[in-house]
Amino acid sequence: MDQQHQRAIAVIAHIDHGKSTLSDRLLQLTGTVSERDMREQYLDKMDLERERGITIKAAAVRMTYRAADGLDYEINLIDTPGHVDFGYEVSRSLAACDGVLLLVDAAQGIEAQTLTNLYLAVDAGLEIIPVLNKIDLPAAQPDRYAEEIASLIGCDPSDVFRISAKTGEGVPELLEAIVARIPPPKGDESAPLRALVFDSIYDAYRGVIAYIRVVDGRVKARQRIHFMAAETDAEADEIGIMAPEQISVDALEAGEVGYLIAGIKNVSLAKVGDTVTAGDKPATEPLPGYREPKPMVFAGIYPIDGDDFPLLRDALEKLKLNDAALVYEPESSTALGFGFRCGFLGLLHMEIVRERLEREFDLSLIATAPSVGYEVQLMGSSKIEVRNPTDLPDPGKIEAIYEPYVSVMIVTPTEFVGTVMQLCQDRRGELKEMHYLSTERVEIRYHMPLGEIIFDFFDQLKSRTKGYASLDYEPVGLHPSNLVKVDVLLNQQPVDAFSTIVHRDKAYGYGKTMTERLRKLIPRQLFDVPIQAAIGSRVIARETVKAKRKDVIAKCYGGDITRKRKLLEKQKEGKKRMKQIGSVEVPQSAFIEALRVDQEVTTT
Amino acid sequence: MSVVVARGRKTGEWLADPGFGVYVHIPFCRHRCNYCDFNTYEGLDALHGPYVDALVAEIRSWDGVRRPATSVFIGGGTPTLLAPRDLGRVLDAVDEVFGIAPGAEVTVEANPETVDRPRFEGLVAAGVNRVSVGMQSAVPHVLKALGRTHDPRAPLDAIDAARAAGIGEVNLDLIYGSPWETAEDWRQSLATVSAACPDHVSAYALTVEEGTPLHTLVATGRVPDVDPDTQAARFEVAQRELAEQGYHRYEVSNWSRPGRASDHNVLYWSAGNYVGFGAGAHSHIDGHRWWTTRLPRDYIDAVTAGASTVAGDESLDPEARAAEALVLGLRLASGVPVEDFANRFGDGCLEQRRARLDELEGLGLLDLADGRIRLTPAATLVGNEVAARLL
Repeated sequence: MDQQHQRAIAVIAHIDHGKSTLSDRLLQLTGTVSERDMREQYLDKMDLERERGITIKAAAVRMTYRAADGLDYEINLIDTPGHVDFGYEVSRSLAACDGVLLLVDAAQGIEAQTLTNLYLAVDAGLEIIPVLNKIDLPAAQPDRYAEEIASLIGCDPSDVFRISAKTGEGVPELLEAIVARIPPPKGDESAPLRALVFDSIYDAYRGVIAYIRVVDGRVKARQRIHFMAAETDAEADEIGIMAPEQISVDALEAGEVGYLIAGIKNVSLAKVGDTVTAGDKPATEPLPGYREPKPMVFAGIYPIDGDDFPLLRDALEKLKLNDAALVYEPESSTALGFGFRCGFLGLLHMEIVRERLEREFDLSLIATAPSVGYEVQLMGSSKIEVRNPTDLPDPGKIEAIYEPYVSVMIVTPTEFVGTVMQLCQDRRGELKEMHYLSTERVEIRYHMPLGEIIFDFFDQLKSRTKGYASLDYEPVGLHPSNLVKVDVLLNQQPVDAFSTIVHRDKAYGYGKTMTERLRKLIPRQLFDVPIQAAIGSRVIARETVKAKRKDVIAKCYGGDITRKRKLLEKQKEGKKRMKQIGSVEVPQSAFIEALRVDQEVTTT
Repeated sequence: MSVVVARGRKTGEWLADPGFGVYVHIPFCRHRCNYCDFNTYEGLDALHGPYVDALVAEIRSWDGVRRPATSVFIGGGTPTLLAPRDLGRVLDAVDEVFGIAPGAEVTVEANPETVDRPRFEGLVAAGVNRVSVGMQSAVPHVLKALGRTHDPRAPLDAIDAARAAGIGEVNLDLIYGSPWETAEDWRQSLATVSAACPDHVSAYALTVEEGTPLHTLVATGRVPDVDPDTQAARFEVAQRELAEQGYHRYEVSNWSRPGRASDHNVLYWSAGNYVGFGAGAHSHIDGHRWWTTRLPRDYIDAVTAGASTVAGDESLDPEARAAEALVLGLRLASGVPVEDFANRFGDGCLEQRRARLDELEGLGLLDLADGRIRLTPAATLVGNEVAARLL
């Protein structure tokens, strides 16, 4: 279809604000899915089936809509990844769109993550159609939230659509607005092929499935193609569209959205944001905006059972096929054995990877406390990157340490502003902006070190605001900070897994928390065991595990030596499973317990 | 009465020739204490008669090694719930099958509430020459908390009666370090014991065993758990007080006047041979261990039917047996004489552990002087740590 009748849109919405239900109505009203086949959360269910290997992801769905003007339009609904670590991926999805629907729950108002994505859309110059959903709910306050949205995007409250995706009220009008207000794409149909990869997944049978929007030219089945950033050459085995079922086509024209399968073995060869061009007649310039995925958060991941190390390695290799942002390299720890230092886009990405490793590969894992990547300026002139606190050079060799900062956006009810600001200040935040969305809700923007966010910040925020605040953040570069490495020593021996880099003002708090925590976890030995936290050679906190005074079986009942021996053998087996830190025997469970991130570290 | 005892006997030292022991288990109690995890039952009075018959029958049907018993121990439960005449029938059967060696130590455990002078006279007539009286504490509130139903005076009366009846040796059993006991309570118990001048004192740190009512109380937070540091402190007080009164600690939990150590006890720690009769009794002959069915009813039925009473067994290879013997021997204050040990168990065990032994000596846990291996005084209370490193 010609570009004049193409529209590509994304829906920006907070979780549970009704994106899936709205998609259902759009599929239904456009006749994309027949009444007979319709079921709730249609696209989500297709994705679940994809996990079970039945069909492929509905990353984009084509709907054909006959508008009031009597003409047919192709509306492509592009999915956006819904979480905080994937800001770049969201930006690429948006780059594939001509406009967005800003969908907000009329009983809840806009949330931080929606705001972030909204700003991304505004920055991308996209047409924005504001929509309040769930107006059928008794708790809906459409007037109030229409004001909020209008003041955000600079429109009149009456311009905000009011719909109920559930009942269908207002959705036909919204479809008309999509056609009328969202501009058609303006690609060059005769130029060499340029298509934007806005999503890519790995399928065990077909290889990489790249979701693309053709910007210029056209792509045909079986033609030679070239991924410009990854410099991958391939042949398009199959191209097609999702409507919403997978349909292969001979060609995708400028403005069209679809998928491309080219027998590529790994998603890092066809990354999100890359530009696909023709193999024989390539474009000279790629589409703008490509960025290499950059890991922001690092953690050591270790198998609890050391024998699982090869399994973990294989599992990471497999995940990497489908996750271009995941990086890892082997490392070893005296406390935890052999594992990998992994880099993630953020905390949530880390959680997802870890959960997938445990669930899909049946591994039991322990992760070190997450850290960020530091840039260290050494005396002299060289600079190094430090991703593991243990690698931080001696303080005497360091001229300056730079740490990544993020711009944090928090949306909270006004009553919690004080406590939220207190939390941000405790975490070295610098207030940048405060904007009242309405008399009840505030958008607060802070700049703060990412390192302060990755340790239970979100949990703290939620608990201090009774769950009402929402959070989003994006990197804003590196800043010099007064940082020190705190080591934890057991009987004078450093335990690498507990070394951390913190701001000097927080070193004592960390040291005190860790030494106290370990005192409770390290079993008593035959001698006093000092547990110290130290910056270099300076001890800042100390606890002692007092020597064990009594460990002997009191008596032997009626000659039952067997039972006595079994008790001792159990004790002996327990010793075998202990890790030896110098002369101190520590059960692995103590390390695992001490590394649980859900416990709060004193930060004052 | 004077008895000639074999060299080393009654001294509490590791025995190169531990002799041969017979253990008889009486699994009945009038009231079961809340900390007790022994094989004993309340309310089975009707089984007393059949049980004694079964014991006698089981002993008579013994077809294993027959050596004169150098010690016989009738434990429980509460053996003194049974009439002295019944215990006499059992001892007669033991004498008939094994022979009770001249001067052999013949002990009966006694609950202070079930004994008086006539009973002790009956026991003497039956051949008993040692009684072990369960005292546990001299402090009323501690006794009550432990679930003991006697008053503090009863154990003292019991040993007086025993002596008057002609029992040659008496032991008092104590329990320390219960959550209810204060330091002062413990000192009072020790003082009371000292004043009564028993030949032998056993003092056990209270252990909260799984499956006992006490365990449930602790697990549900209704009673604080025992504190090992407190128990260590109590032990040290006992060590001091009893030494002052002329008692020598010859084993982790056992003290005696010179020449009054319990042979039967030392036999266990010297890895000796013994046969156990009765429900849930344990036996050991030359590395083979077995134990009998625990329920008195099942035991009686098995014996009556002429079936085996054995519920389980294990055989230790020579290496495991030697290692176990070493670990057991270290419970004794005398430790293990290297030469005697090597004569009984070969050189291999100690040879293989040479480095380990030296290491433990270096840690101050073992004393390897004078041709012996023994725990240092400091290591006595952490014996498990040493044992786990040597097994």
